[in-house]
Amino acid sequence: MKDGFQGLRLGKWMLGLLKQRAAGLFCFTFLALGLVSLINPAFLAWGNLRDIAVQAAPVCIISCGLMLVLVLGEIDISVGSMMGVLAASMGAMVSATRWGLSPWIAVILTLILGTLMGALNGWLIAYLRVPSIMVTLGMLTALRGVTEVIMGGTWITDLPPGIRYLGTGSWMGLPICLWVCAGVIVLSTWLIHRTPLGRRIFAIGSQPRAAHLAGLPIQRVKFLVFAWTGFLTALATLVSVPQLSVVDSGIGVGMELLVVTCVVVGGTSVSGGTGHLSGVVFAVLLMTMISTLLIFMKLGENATYWSRAIQGLFILGAILLDHLVRSKKSS
Amino acid sequence: MKSRSEASVQGVYSTLTLLAFGLIFGACSPSENSQIGSESESILSSGKRITIALIPKKKGLPYFTSCASGAEEAARELGNVDLIYDGPTDGSPEKQASMIEQYALKGVDVIAVSPNDPEVVAPAMRKAREKGIHVITWDADAVTDARSYFVNQSTAQAIAYGMVDTMVQDLGGPEVKAQVAIVTAYLTAANQNIWIEHMKARMADTYPNLDLVAIKPSDEDQKLAFKVTQDLMKAYPDIKGFFGISSVSFPGAAEAVKQAGRSGEVMVTGLATPNSMKAYVQDGTVKSVVLWNTAELGYLTVQVGAALANGTLNPGDEQFVAGKLGEKEVAGDQVLLGDILVFNQENIDQYDF
Repeated sequence: MKDGFQGLRLGKWMLGLLKQRAAGLFCFTFLALGLVSLINPAFLAWGNLRDIAVQAAPVCIISCGLMLVLVLGEIDISVGSMMGVLAASMGAMVSATRWGLSPWIAVILTLILGTLMGALNGWLIAYLRVPSIMVTLGMLTALRGVTEVIMGGTWITDLPPGIRYLGTGSWMGLPICLWVCAGVIVLSTWLIHRTPLGRRIFAIGSQPRAAHLAGLPIQRVKFLVFAWTGFLTALATLVSVPQLSVVDSGIGVGMELLVVTCVVVGGTSVSGGTGHLSGVVFAVLLMTMISTLLIFMKLGENATYWSRAIQGLFILGAILLDHLVRSKKSS
Repeated sequence: MKSRSEASVQGVYSTLTLLAFGLIFGACSPSENSQIGSESESILSSGKRITIALIPKKKGLPYFTSCASGAEEAARELGNVDLIYDGPTDGSPEKQASMIEQYALKGVDVIAVSPNDPEVVAPAMRKAREKGIHVITWDADAVTDARSYFVNQSTAQAIAYGMVDTMVQDLGGPEVKAQVAIVTAYLTAANQNIWIEHMKARMADTYPNLDLVAIKPSDEDQKLAFKVTQDLMKAYPDIKGFFGISSVSFPGAAEAVKQAGRSGEVMVTGLATPNSMKAYVQDGTVKSVVLWNTAELGYLTVQVGAALANGTLNPGDEQFVAGKLGEKEVAGDQVLLGDILVFNQENIDQYDF
C-alpha cells in the first residue's frame, strides 16, 4: 500500500519534471527562433515555416509510434529500413514500367505491408520473447537487403502524378502530409489518454511485474504497439517519399536514429514507463529546424560541422538528463 | 506458473530463431554475389582462367549497375574471365574492407575496388597485395601504395572544370554575376572533395563572377539534398546556381528548384545517371547533366584487371589496348578512360541507365 502511494507521488513528481523538460525545449526553440530571426528575418516567412513543418511531418508521424514502443521499455530500430522497403515496393507498384497498379491500390497495399512488417517485429518480440533490440537490429539489415532486391540495382524514376500528389499536393492551403501528421497526433493523444490500451502501455512500461500480476495482456499490447508503429511508418512513407521524383535505394537510411533521438530528447525514458507526446512533437520540430537555422545564419561552409556537433550535444544532454532522473528515482 | 525448464526451453527456442535469422540475413548481405561471365564457353588460347572481383562503393546504385554491365561485356569478350560483382549495400567503408579481405581469402586473381574511403580500406588492400593478388582501384582512388593502377574515368580536373564551365554556359556566359552553392555527397568522399578543390580553383581563376556561398553535404540522402537546396534558396534569395555533384544529391536539388517554381531561373547542374534526370532536362529545370561513359569505365576496368593477371600490362607502359575501346593513355599509374559526357535535351534520350 505504502509502495503504491510512494509510486504515485514519484509519478507526479516525474510528470512535473517531464513537463519542465518539454517547457525547456519550448523555451529553447523560441530563443533560437528569435535569435535567428534577428539575423535573418526571412526565417519567419510563412513559406519557410511550412517547409520546416513538411520536413518534420514524417519524422513526427513515426515518432508517435516509437514513443509508445519506448514507453513499453522496448526499442525499434528497424523503422528506417522498413521505410526503404515500403518506398521501394510503393514505387514498384505504381511505376508504369514495373507493376503499374493504380495509386489507390498501392496506398492500401503499402499500409497493409507496413502493418505486417511491424506485426512481424511484434510477434517475434512479444510471443517468441526475442529481445526487441536483436529483432529490430536484424530487421535493420535484412529489410535493407530486401529493398535492394526490389530495386534490382536501378531506381524508380517514373512515379505517376496520382502518387506524387500525396507528397506535393495541398488541401485547404495546407500540404497533405501536415493534415496526416495532425491526424496522427490527435489520434495518439486520444489513444494515450482516453483508451484502456493507452493506460495499459504506460502501466506495463513503468511496472512490468505489477502489470503481469494484475493480469494485463502484456503480449497483446506489445504486439499491437509494434504493428501500429509499422502502420505509421507506412503512412510516413506515403506522404514523404512522393515529395521527390526519384525513389532510390537509400530512402530511410538513418531515419531510425533520428526518430529515436527525437523521442528521447522529447522526454521519453529509455527504460520505459514515461513519455510525453507534446515533448516529442517539439523535439521533432527542433531537430528538423537545427540545420535550417544554421543555413539561415549564413555561417558559410563551416555550418555543416556545427550542425553535426549541436545535434550530438542534444542527444548527449537528453541522455544525461534521463540518467539524472533515474538515479534520483533509485535513491 | 512457468517452470524453470520451460522458460529455458523458450530461451533456447528464441535463440535458435535468432540464429536462423542471422544465417538468413548474414547469407544475403555480404556473400550474395552475382557470378557473371563466360559460363561454359570453351577456354581460350591463354588457357588460364582469371577471377576478377569488381567491388563498387555501394551495390544497388544505377551508376554502378551500369558500370557492371560494361564489365560483364568485357568479361564475355575476353572469354577466360570470371567476374564477381559485389559490394556493400550501405556504402560503408568498413564493410567494404572486410569484403576485400574475404575475396582475398577466396583467392581471386584481381580485386578492383572503388573505395568508399581512401584510408579505411587501404590496409585490407595492402594485405591482398601481399598475397600476390592484383589490386586496382576504379571510379575512386585509394592511398596510392595500396593499389597498382587506378582506372580513372577522367581526370578530376576535367570533371570539375566541365561542371563549372557547363554552369557558366547555362547561366548565360562568364560576365553574369551569380551566387552558387555545391550540394555534395559526404564531407569525407574523396572524389567529391577533389572535384570541389578543382571547382574552387576554376571559379577563382577563370570565373570571378561566380560567388560560392555554401558547400553542403547530402549524406547520399535525396531528402537531405532537397532540404538543403530549399533552405539555401530562401537564405540566399539571389542564388542562381546549384551543383549537385553526386547521383543522389543532383535529383534532390533539381526537385527543390522545381517545386519552388524557379525552374529556368535557378540553374542546377552536376553529376548523375541520365534516367533519374530525364524529367528535369525535359521540363527545363536542368539544361545539362555531366557524366562519363559508365559502361566503358566498367569495361576498361576488367580489361586492365585481366591484362595485369596475364602480364600484358606492366609498369612503365604508356599505352594500353583495351578491346573495343582501342588505345587508352596510361599516365604513370593511372589508366585514363577519357573525356566527360554531357547529356542535354538533344541526346539524353539515347541513353538508358
